[in-house]
Formats: sequence, C-alpha cells, structure tokens
Amino acid sequence: MGKLDGKVACITGGTRSIGRAMADAMLAEGAKVVVNGRDPAKGEKCLEEMGGGDNAGFFAGDASKQETVEGLVDFTIDRFGQLDICCLNSGGVQMTAPVAQMSDEEWQLEVDWNLNHVFWGMRRALQHMIPRQSGRIIVTSSVEGKLGKPGIPGYVACKHAVNGLVKAAAQEVGTLGITVNAVLPGIIETDIVRETGPDSAIAMGVEDYDAMIALFTKEAALKRPNTVEEVAAVAVMLASDAARNMTGCLFPIDGGTLPY
Amino acid sequence: MGELDGRVACITGATRGIGRAIAEAFVREGANVVIVGRSAEKGQQALDEMQAGDAATFVQGDVKERASCESFIDQTVERYGRIDIVVPNAGGASNHAPVAEMTDEAMQDALVWNFWHSFWCMRKAFSYMIPQQFGRVMLMSSLEGKVGKPGIANYVAAKHAMNGLTKTAAQEVGTLGITVNALCPGGIETDIMKEEGPVAAKAMGLTYEGLLDVFAQESAVKRLNEVEDVALVAVLLASDAGGGITGSLISIDGGTSPY
Repeated sequence: MGKLDGKVACITGGTRSIGRAMADAMLAEGAKVVVNGRDPAKGEKCLEEMGGGDNAGFFAGDASKQETVEGLVDFTIDRFGQLDICCLNSGGVQMTAPVAQMSDEEWQLEVDWNLNHVFWGMRRALQHMIPRQSGRIIVTSSVEGKLGKPGIPGYVACKHAVNGLVKAAAQEVGTLGITVNAVLPGIIETDIVRETGPDSAIAMGVEDYDAMIALFTKEAALKRPNTVEEVAAVAVMLASDAARNMTGCLFPIDGGTLPY
Repeated sequence: MGELDGRVACITGATRGIGRAIAEAFVREGANVVIVGRSAEKGQQALDEMQAGDAATFVQGDVKERASCESFIDQTVERYGRIDIVVPNAGGASNHAPVAEMTDEAMQDALVWNFWHSFWCMRKAFSYMIPQQFGRVMLMSSLEGKVGKPGIANYVAAKHAMNGLTKTAAQEVGTLGITVNALCPGGIETDIMKEEGPVAAKAMGLTYEGLLDVFAQESAVKRLNEVEDVALVAVLLASDAGGGITGSLISIDGGTSPY
C-alpha cells in the first residue's frame, strides 16, 4: 500500500537530481510518473535506472518552452488517463550578471525557464484538475524565493514570483480539492548546480564553486547542503490525499537558512 | 517497516486533540510514545483507545510546572531507554480580553502554559539529545504564531515567542544532529478549542460559531483544519528524511498564513 496508489504525476526536469528523486519516491509510493528532460538519451537512461516499467514515461523537451510544458501535461493525460500531481521542478541559474549589466534577452531566458514554465504548466494542469475537483501542484522554488543574492537577479526574482503565483493559485482553487504548494530547498549539489555553479560563484563575487557551496552551507543551521531525498519526502507528503488541507504553503527544506 | 522504528517520543497534552493524533501516528510508524496529560482518567481512556500495548505509556502531570516538565522527559528515558522526539504540544490560553483590559494573570498563564512549558521540555530533552547527537523537537505553535488577532494577545504573544525560540535553538544545535521546528496549525475544533473558544470569541466580539467561521473563511480551503493534518507533518519531521528541515515555522493552515 503506497501513499500515492492510483495517482498519476508529471515532473519537469525529472531525469536527474531533485526531479528524479521526486519521480523515484512517487513511483515507490505507487504512482505512475512521466518525467521530462531535454535529452532523449538521458531520458532513456533515466527510465532504465528507475525500473518503473509501464508505470514510468519520458517526454522530451526544453522546460523553458511553452510547447514542452503544455505537451508534458497533455502527454501524461493521454498516456495514463489523468493527471493528479503536477511537479513544476525544472529551473536554475542560466544567466549570471548584475542587474546593471543584464540584457533583455538574458532576462527573458531566465524568466521563461524559472517563472513562465511554472505558469504554463500550472495553467494547463489546473484546466484538467478543476473539472475533476482534485489535484496537487508542487512547485520547486528555492531559499532564493525569499532571500536575495548578488549576481543572479533573474533567478532570485523568478523564485520570488513563483512563490506569489503559488499563494494566488492556492486561494483560487482552495475549495476545489486542489492544493498548490512550493518547496524551498537550500543549496543542494545537483548536476545543474555543479554545471552552473562556477559561473554563479563568480557573479556572486566569491572565489570559486567550493567557496559558493561553503557560503550557502554557512548560512544554514545544519552547516551542510540539503539532499534531493529530503525534498522528495516533502513532495510525497504534499502529494498524498492526507495533505488535503495544506495549501499555499512555502515549505522550507533548507537546514535552517530562511528567517521566515 | 515504519518510518520511526526504534524511536522514542514524549508528547504533552496527548490524551486528546492534536497531541493524541501525533501519538497515534508515531506509534503507527513504529515509535514508542509517552503521552502526558493532567487527568489519569483521560490518560487511561487514551491508552485503552489507542491499543498500542507496550508502545504507549501515560504519564500524569501539569505542564505549567517546571519540575513536571523535566520529569516527563526523565520518565520517558526511564521507560524506553532514550528520547529521540519531544513534542511539547499542550497549550492554550484563558481569560481572553483586549490588551487594555487583560490581566497579568491571563498573560502569565498563557506564557507558562505555552512558552515556558515548551522551553522547560526542550531544555531537558537537549540534555539527552546533545550527548546522543540526535533529536527532533517540534514546538506546537499556531497560525497565531505568525499573525495577530484582536482579543487574544496572550495567546498570540506566547506563540510568537515560541517561534523565536525555535529559530534560535535550531541555530544552536544544527550541527549536533538535532532539528527544532515549529508547527503552525490553523483553526482546529479540538476539545481545548471547544472549552476556551467561547471566551476567546467573546473577547473578539464574536459568537463561538462565528469564530470558527472566521478561521474557515480566512483560509483558502474555507474549512477548519484537522488534527491528522498536523500529525502528517510531525511524522515527516521526525523521520530520517526530515533531517534537513530545521528552524522552520511550518504552516498547516489550509492556506491562511501570508508567509
């Protein structure tokens, strides 16, 4: 008996790291899961590693594109007949520059990936969930959804924005059996952070990647990074039927970093 | 296989309401629990209803006394050999009134019942948790730990103080394997609410039913919370996977709190 027996989930950016941990945890709790990623080869590898058989699917595409996000929702409903849990998880620091030097084009890329993707996915999912009077939307925000850091203004602004979007949407659908929540992880050494971290470190004015990780962990009471499994455990809880009264919540998984 | 196999918990105010729901959820996940309450009769009834056998023990005492709070922790260790989880859950307030008319006694009672009781239990629990480098402390705060309501300043102030205590303690023990979090439930119609709610409602210029409706209508889900909602989060925080969450003030309020 799993906590998510009979449920169907889709996850943007689900082939690695936080999204992948959510996918693994939801499969383990009995859900059917479609993961998304840009690279079909990584998607194939991911499906093999997850070992979910017919309960797992992959949808290829760039989560910063509207057709990908809406396509993922539609594909999941076609494949498994319904969508109960929509995890809008993809995101990261793509463009680093101080505000004074950031171009419109760079800003737009950051907004499409970290904010518009969440809006597009949430809107499509709600259009399916509202008639069914049932659903769970889980957005991967960040401690940067409540705090600021220099050099990554697009990421910080978008994560703040998705927190607002979550609160507004939660109010709209609160009586319709649908919850909308955000998880706010602290620093986790995911593949994306390893790839983009060196640039972020320079933009933040710290020495290198290791110094950036040290900066984040020093802010946390636990003095260590968080893990993807810690985020996945909260996602499973929020996705469960038992969490029907938790909504509009910005759930920190940050080792005691956020002041509020 | 439960998520709390081998863990030992002490929960105050646990013969009924939220504390009882947490105790039952912990037992279901494999933990041994000490449930604390004032009434031996209600304690026996709780044990009978829980049917947890050796996994649950009732300890009688008043959370408004320091020596009692400390003995709850000691008795838990004596009974089950250790203490991993402490939930000072009892709390409430009485003699509600607007600040201009609030008595010292009403303010003092709320601070002892909620804040001092949580502090006494936490401090004593730390004396076991720090040497063993493991612990989970959950203070039972409230939506009113984040927002104010007129007429219940004693309750609001006590719960806000507990949130500050949570954040500070979390920083102190963060590297010692101990997490400290506050649970912030919205309105729930527990026995305490039924007992104290009418007086609070009057201080707020409402009927009791009107008060419950205020809680429901200010939420996104337009209904009250339930004790099981709080137990769900308590289990997560107590579990191994909850080890990365500390210093958090977690809203369990149907989308009421603005932050």
